[in-house]
Amino acid sequence: MSEEVTIARTTARDDISPAAQVRRATFVLVGSAVLGALALPWLSTSYATTLAIEIMIAAIFASGINLLVGTTGLVSLGQGMFLGLGGYGIGIGTTVLGLPLWLSVPATLVLVATLAAAIGAVCTRTRGVEFLLITLAFSQMFYGAAIKLRLTNGSDGMSGIPRPDLGLLGLNADSPVVFYYYILLVTMLAVAAVWRIAESPFGSVLAAIRESERRAAAMGYAVSSYKVGAFVVAAVTCAVAGILQSQYTYFINPDSMSWQLSGEGVLMVIIGSTTAVAGPLVGAAVFVLAKQGLSVLTTEYMLFFGIFFMLVVAFFRNGVVEAFKSAFRSKP
Amino acid sequence: MQVFLTQVLNGLQLSMLVYLLAAGLTLIFGLMNILNLAHGAFFTLGAYCGVAVASATGSFWLALLLGPLLPLVLGAVLQSMLLQPLAERGRSTHLDLALLTFGLLFATAGAVEWLFGSAFLAVPTPPALAGHVSLLGISYPVYRLFIIGVGLSVAAGLTFVFDRTLLGATLRAGVDDRAMVTALGVNINALFAAVFGLGAALAGLAGVIAAPLTSVYSQMGITIVVETFVVVVVGGLGNLRGSFYASLIVGMTNAMSQAYLPEVEMFAIYALLIGVMIVRPQGMFRNVERVA
Repeated sequence: MSEEVTIARTTARDDISPAAQVRRATFVLVGSAVLGALALPWLSTSYATTLAIEIMIAAIFASGINLLVGTTGLVSLGQGMFLGLGGYGIGIGTTVLGLPLWLSVPATLVLVATLAAAIGAVCTRTRGVEFLLITLAFSQMFYGAAIKLRLTNGSDGMSGIPRPDLGLLGLNADSPVVFYYYILLVTMLAVAAVWRIAESPFGSVLAAIRESERRAAAMGYAVSSYKVGAFVVAAVTCAVAGILQSQYTYFINPDSMSWQLSGEGVLMVIIGSTTAVAGPLVGAAVFVLAKQGLSVLTTEYMLFFGIFFMLVVAFFRNGVVEAFKSAFRSKP
Repeated sequence: MQVFLTQVLNGLQLSMLVYLLAAGLTLIFGLMNILNLAHGAFFTLGAYCGVAVASATGSFWLALLLGPLLPLVLGAVLQSMLLQPLAERGRSTHLDLALLTFGLLFATAGAVEWLFGSAFLAVPTPPALAGHVSLLGISYPVYRLFIIGVGLSVAAGLTFVFDRTLLGATLRAGVDDRAMVTALGVNINALFAAVFGLGAALAGLAGVIAAPLTSVYSQMGITIVVETFVVVVVGGLGNLRGSFYASLIVGMTNAMSQAYLPEVEMFAIYALLIGVMIVRPQGMFRNVERVA
């Protein structure tokens, strides 16, 4: 949160140009976040490291969803299917087909991208609530398949999913600290990539589609191809989160494709605000910490998840980041 | 042949159960533009009310009468105290309110689990409807025929109200042009609350009559509501008649895949939905474009 305070204070000053302020604030924010993340395993307990791993995986998942929900304005309740496909992809690749991990990961991502292009072509024919429902239907279909198929070992799920072999570097990824740095590296790359895509000309067209699809089409953009493109990028990002998640737990089961998990992702995006770059990161952190806190306080997770979700949608629709920004902006 | 006939009846029974949910869901969407993801919660609540009343009084018929009451009241209250004020404060009825009801669906499941525990509960089949009857050479449970009967009666009743009464005319006008109906002096908020309550009560009714057939558990509504979504999208969101036909298609697809292709059972109806979406993204039975 303190980084957010920094950005708000910096914007309140008038002596430098707004662009320079934003640049400086971003620099401070990103710099301190990276430094803090790098130092974390040395500063704190292994419990905090574990939580940080969960937050980072959730942040990648939320970044993928945010490209659809925040940038393009398509609310999907089915992104869990790509998280699950990522995990199942490397699970089947390594344990069933016996492929090495360095082959399974790219093969999974290419497969997910191809599948997402086909699914996206169907889903993006609709918009609004129909889009929400059809993405949900697709994810339920994969959820059903994962439970029914022998290949995925049914509702028991697949275990023995390998972490990367870092023997060449003299490291062992089974150690929590090494795995933490691996996750940190992938998270920084993934979040930066999604951010670059959202800021690129391609991303600007996505934002134009969100603001007015008709106008974007009238300007000559092939709107449906752009929407499918956004769908594919979001799917691949979610699959990356799924791969990391399954490596983190050495395990994948159909629950990772559940409706609730997709909803949790959307919730993180809303908590973090759909407009800020750091939104998905903040949203993931708030969500994972809140979930952790709730599980200490009560076993009725679902009741509080539901109430929390309703409160966020009703009162924090623009997200925590925006709430903080406007709180500081309103001061003279 | 006998298996086929049994599956046709099973499909019909499932269709009618889903129709009770789909009718309310599609009416609420058609009139208020709200996708009520929490519709399954009313199904769960109805079932648990049924369990409570049936075990307290021993009468299934009393449960059938009282079970839908709580969903009726809660539905009306939810619409008039929470959703309507939020919509007036500028929340998008489509997405914000859909997400809010998504939270409500899980909150209800959690609350029910907290109150009743996570055990599977059961309601005995009422004696008058117990047993089997021979029908076209097969022996079929009377209770399942009862469900088919309830579904068809509700469908007939709704069609009558919708097509032949002043209330129905007002509803159709409300779906068509909300502003004009308000200008004609109809208290649209009261109408909204009434329709929301009615839809919730139908879902509750489905919960009560499903209780003797399936076990009652806290997440039963979450499971069935996804099937209901498939029905309303296939039928065209907001189209009451389309929902009826779509219920039949979805129910039959489910029953037939269960009997003949058990390996696709979990996803046959989603494949159906996707097929419909490719050919007619606006739903099978909608010929007028919704102005969104």
